[in-house]
Amino acid sequence: MSTQQINMADFGEVVETRYVLSAEQLAASKFGFSEVYYSGSPTLYSPGDVVNLPYETGETSTMQALGNAWAAYASGIGPA
Amino acid sequence: MAIKGGNSFGAFKNKGAAFGTFGAQDIPDIDKIKPITTEFSKGSVPNSIVRMDRESAWSRWRRGYEISTAVGIQHALTYPFEYQIPSPDGTPPAEGRQPLILGVVQGFFTAGKEFGVHWVGCRIGSILRFDNVRDSIGTPATIASITEDDEFWYVQLAGSWSTTNPLPPPLYVPNPSGDPIKPLLGEILEDRILAVGGSPITKDTLDPSTSKRYGYVQAILIDVDGPNGILKLQKSSSFEASPDNLYLTPATKTFSVGRFFTVGTRYACTCQDFSRRSYSFMMNLEGSEKKRFPFTRPALLKYGRSEVLTDPNTGSVNNSAMTDANQNRDLALTTQSIDNPGVYNDFGGRYLRNFSAARRAEGPTTFVDYTAKNNQITSYTDYWSPLLDEMRYCKHIYALRFEEGILPPEPSDLPFATEESITEWEQRLVYEMSVTNKHINDMQAVRGMALMDVPPKNFQSPVMLPMMQKLLNVPASFIRLENFRMQDKTGAFYNPSAGEYPAN
Repeated sequence: MSTQQINMADFGEVVETRYVLSAEQLAASKFGFSEVYYSGSPTLYSPGDVVNLPYETGETSTMQALGNAWAAYASGIGPA
Repeated sequence: MAIKGGNSFGAFKNKGAAFGTFGAQDIPDIDKIKPITTEFSKGSVPNSIVRMDRESAWSRWRRGYEISTAVGIQHALTYPFEYQIPSPDGTPPAEGRQPLILGVVQGFFTAGKEFGVHWVGCRIGSILRFDNVRDSIGTPATIASITEDDEFWYVQLAGSWSTTNPLPPPLYVPNPSGDPIKPLLGEILEDRILAVGGSPITKDTLDPSTSKRYGYVQAILIDVDGPNGILKLQKSSSFEASPDNLYLTPATKTFSVGRFFTVGTRYACTCQDFSRRSYSFMMNLEGSEKKRFPFTRPALLKYGRSEVLTDPNTGSVNNSAMTDANQNRDLALTTQSIDNPGVYNDFGGRYLRNFSAARRAEGPTTFVDYTAKNNQITSYTDYWSPLLDEMRYCKHIYALRFEEGILPPEPSDLPFATEESITEWEQRLVYEMSVTNKHINDMQAVRGMALMDVPPKNFQSPVMLPMMQKLLNVPASFIRLENFRMQDKTGAFYNPSAGEYPAN
């Protein structure tokens, strides 16, 4: 049965569903060729206790710092 | 906890004062007598299956998925932070070389509860590395050998350990006034470090010599034998990233000798479900300005702990939710007491459902979910045993894990027998979440943020400090506001305590 609505495809018709850009639109969009701008410091993802690796002599690792905190706490000492 | 309303029966009528069904506040309607559903009935009446399903980890997993997808994570409330562990000896490390704990705090707006926001903390994994655990002559603590029984692995760490040279803190902290403290109990350990100073491997890391994946195993640390250098890890909740890139639970193999342990990601949340306690809320976020007087019915008082925050200078109680970026507070802990009426209402304990390899139920909990020394929390344990591969998470933590793209393994305790079908439950859940989403976005966001400050300024509010202590696993007195650096949208860190602000 044919539909009465305008611009509606009938059953069995082959229709183009993709929106086809004109040559002017493609030229204007420059998709994939436009410059990318960025600013600010890059975010560093730090997988745990590697941010300060390698440790210099005398430096404290997170593991040691946590241990120092708990040891001080057990002795009744607070943070400096 | 109930909130007293305008008349003596107001508390019973005010459903908004209860935390869903978690509070077990239901008062039977005498006109419609049904199976008893008050808190004294758990596990002994026909309707108790509903109660059990409510405790299902699967339900939390599913609700977390709903929050993650339907409501979405509010990235305006994402607060990455860097916590510089304070030094007790007063010699600050060089700038830029401080020992750090990295994490993120994510806020979840909530309808009508607390101060409008639940805060989930995530401490990223691999913070603690066992190649930094050394014995008295500097031997790094590799995994030397492993023995096992039906339930546990016993891992011997390399090094010369003795009563005079036990495992160093924080694994084993000698305590001049009592039993040694073991703050790392309950942490997830993973054998992901292959060599001293190396980056942790992931499940995808290939062994260049064989072109196969290394794989690793994780398990929960149950106990530490300091003088003998032995760690006890639980099999029943273990987890394996297999060489063929599959996640397996429980693990089919044990740890690899010669590697180093590191810790896994750690989560904590301020919500009632995770903290297992209800908090007072002095006003109704629905918009009413009517003053309320909180009280706890005597029948609901249970043994538990209660926390009070005090000003270290004056000693006066300071339970404010809105705080100054420079106002540090002390956490005072009342232990082995009843609830603090009107402030905290501990949900109490219940039977644990985990079964050991010996097929014994674990029995009732002890009503003590923490250890304490000198009126301070030294370690939290959990009412729940880990379920298969998971620690107990609330729906907010599950939502965060879904959002991270880490599909959390589906808990196996699917509620199979309820008063309603699981399809109906899910359809209702989807509907409720859509309504809640609109409600939250329309009103709660503005109101909630007007009531409670944002990280790090709220880190020492009554609901946040215990959570932060659980998350960071440092003594509460070491959680100082001046040691937090927050990361802004450009990736730069700023110090709110010094009056710094994020980039515009």
